[in-house]
Amino acid sequence: MKRLAAIAALAALAATAACGQVAAPAGPGGVYTTIDGAKQIDATAPINPFNPQGSTFVGYDAMSLAWPKNSLTDPNQFYPGIAQSWTTTPGQGEVVVHLRPDARWSDGKPVTSQDVRTSIGLAYTQGGSAYTVNAGAAGAAADIQVVDAKTIKVVQGANRSNTFLRNVLSTVVVPDHVYGKLLPAGFWATLTAARGTGPAADRAKAEITGLTQKVITFAPPQDVSAGPFVLERINPGAALLRRNPYFYDAAKIVPDKVKVLNYTGNEQIWNYLVSGKLDSAPFTAVPAAVMGRIKSAPGNAVRRGYSPVAASMAFNQAHKPYDNVHVRRALAYLIDRAQVTKIASPEAGTPSLTTTGIHGDSAKAWLGERLATLNPYKVDPAKADLELKAAGMVKRGGTWRMPDGKPWKVELHVPASFSDWVAAAKSITSQLNDHGIDANVTTSADYVLYLDELAAGKFDVGFWLMALGPSSYNIFQRLYGSANGWSLLAGRLSHSPPGKDGNWMGGPEKIDGIDPGELTNRLNLATPQEQKNIVGTLATVTNQQLPVIQIYDYVNTQFINTSRYTGWPPDGSEALRLPAGVWMQLGMIKKR
Amino acid sequence: MSVTVPQTELQPGLSGTRAALRRNFWRGVARVLRRKPSRMVGVAIVALFLLMAAFGPMLYPAHLPRDNNALYAPPSLAHPFGTDFEGTDVLALVVTGARYVILTGLVTAVITVAAGTLLGLLAGFHRGRWDTALMRLTDLQLTIPGLPLLLVLSTVWKFQGPLAMGLVLGLLGWGGIARAVRSQTLSLRERGFIEAARGLGLSTTHIIGRELLPSMAPYIAMNMLIAVTGAIYAQVGLFFLGVLPFDSNNWGVMLNLAVFGGGALTSAAALPYLLAPLLAILLLTLGIVLVVDAMDEIFNPRLREE
Repeated sequence: MKRLAAIAALAALAATAACGQVAAPAGPGGVYTTIDGAKQIDATAPINPFNPQGSTFVGYDAMSLAWPKNSLTDPNQFYPGIAQSWTTTPGQGEVVVHLRPDARWSDGKPVTSQDVRTSIGLAYTQGGSAYTVNAGAAGAAADIQVVDAKTIKVVQGANRSNTFLRNVLSTVVVPDHVYGKLLPAGFWATLTAARGTGPAADRAKAEITGLTQKVITFAPPQDVSAGPFVLERINPGAALLRRNPYFYDAAKIVPDKVKVLNYTGNEQIWNYLVSGKLDSAPFTAVPAAVMGRIKSAPGNAVRRGYSPVAASMAFNQAHKPYDNVHVRRALAYLIDRAQVTKIASPEAGTPSLTTTGIHGDSAKAWLGERLATLNPYKVDPAKADLELKAAGMVKRGGTWRMPDGKPWKVELHVPASFSDWVAAAKSITSQLNDHGIDANVTTSADYVLYLDELAAGKFDVGFWLMALGPSSYNIFQRLYGSANGWSLLAGRLSHSPPGKDGNWMGGPEKIDGIDPGELTNRLNLATPQEQKNIVGTLATVTNQQLPVIQIYDYVNTQFINTSRYTGWPPDGSEALRLPAGVWMQLGMIKKR
Repeated sequence: MSVTVPQTELQPGLSGTRAALRRNFWRGVARVLRRKPSRMVGVAIVALFLLMAAFGPMLYPAHLPRDNNALYAPPSLAHPFGTDFEGTDVLALVVTGARYVILTGLVTAVITVAAGTLLGLLAGFHRGRWDTALMRLTDLQLTIPGLPLLLVLSTVWKFQGPLAMGLVLGLLGWGGIARAVRSQTLSLRERGFIEAARGLGLSTTHIIGRELLPSMAPYIAMNMLIAVTGAIYAQVGLFFLGVLPFDSNNWGVMLNLAVFGGGALTSAAALPYLLAPLLAILLLTLGIVLVVDAMDEIFNPRLREE
């Protein structure tokens, strides 16, 4: 009988695990249920924030020095994280970070400057942003100094960038007593050598990048977190985190536990939302009908805010007839952006006011009254006809052809996995077909393949993410950066011809004497007023030249459920794009 | 000493016998179809889809009309299966999309059956080294996992058009038929009528083409129809997964957009958009299965309930 009972108990446990449910006894604070918008759960992944699939969750058990605010124009506004405060010199040459005096790891040990230094060292092995060993990269750190146990100074290299502070404060901090052993003795000397040039520097760089896999695969036996939660257990269906008693602001944290549910696609998130399971969910693309069902579930509500991303249709100007600005303008006059948005992204997009390179919300802040002077490219088939004629295109049998009379077919490329882009592209091609332009949609199997093919110059026209603010440099780098031929090598900006070094946009190096790549690069160092002037110039050039046609600007649409918790950030909140764990750190979330 | 009979003397008798056989065959077919009305339904369904494939696109303009104010409209008299995300009639999409699906299915079936039968016949009839070489080739083909290979292929090849699609599916699907045909050939080649043909000194081509092949024709024909359904599932599945180029009226693309773009599994709005291509696939499969059932009885005398 006992054996039967044991078998039954084991079977019940197995069934629970198989269903992906984590038994979670609720305390007075309850269990907060959500999903991680950045990744799906891989229960076999190490508890390591450097692993892209790692079993750590930003805002809950993975902590940054600070959390960026969702500002329209200023990339240097933050909520404090492990860093209590910070100071910078003018031009962000030096950033001094003061850690919270009472910050502790979940094993009780204090969070120190040495932890931050080790975290920066590990970040160098992964490369990117402030921590790169590429000589001359803009905004790279040149020196990391521990001032005292709670203060650390990070010095920027010679090629300055005004995104340095943002990149430094975004550093994810891990405990030195767990991760420190991953950095070999002499690592910092190797790092100094790697910043130079020549064979010795190359060897040092190789030594550092050779640590990449070692860091990614490192699997600590248990989670050691400085955040409000610490991982209790994880299975393929969900991760369960319990409250970290050593968290510096433990009194602000209301839920006893956080359950992060896994998902295999958007449809599963929609079902979680329809059933009212999630207390909050980050941005998820949702069709209008599904949105209706989500909203009708008890307690569900939607929060909308600024999302610094826009969808556009980008041209390969090395391919005919897209080298001709009149053709690009003609297409802009033929696309009803409102209709495309209604079809493709009715809940998470607004039709772009016009093409500026900037998201509509921040364009108002950057350009002010200048925005009204730009060409809105309202639907106007007559103007489109004039533009096509100006480009030498000919119309025969109701269909537009190339100037030499050969057929012209607009092949609009999109990745198949982006359902809103597929719908948008179909809508655009239908509209072009209505006006006698033979157009069709071609999909690539996945986004990585799509980007590869795009970079290889295989497409005439393809969808492209742009306006990646709030940093003005990041916004225009999408149009006048490496994809259009400009790259920063060893501190010097150079322009590669179309088809070389990833230049698939193939735009001209200079337009009416203006070098848009050079102007974009200057945004790295410019003062706020200089940035406004440059942004104005670049927006005007973009509006006239149309290297892309801006179709719709994304809206950050998040979901909350007010049945169990309250205190949610309102529409348009600067905290809206941060994980709910940060909302908890900020003391927003209360038990109902 | 041999006696030569003038062909002219034999011809009238032969042609008369053949005509009678043909008449009897079609009478048998009609009888078999009438015996179970479901078989008539099957023939009607298959005929309907063949007509759709042949003439469907001619019924509509090249670019299907859209209604910008009726996105995901519910079923109505004007739109029996509602409209899609662009306000296009879903029935029109299904009808115009039939050509690609059925043409791919037919091309796949022809290639599958032609390659499988040829290799199976050669291996089974010749045995020895031929058999060893061809069957190892068949084993190799059978070990290739079709779907993963297609997923990989889709990253380098765009599968533009039903012929390319059918060619690839056909080349991935002949192994099973080759093995089955070889088994049947091995069995038939020991029968008396093949021995007699050999004894008469008839050529290998004649023995394979005129003696062996007709005996296996029913089996091959049924496999061909079943291969059509397999090809339809395979290509629709690939389009559904989104690994093949977009074609708005492809049934697989419709399923993909209904589920991932319209949320058909979560809300009812896009459900007709999901159900219409599903229904088309279901009907076509049903039609083929019913026709195969009839064929089984037509070609297998033991099943005839005289």
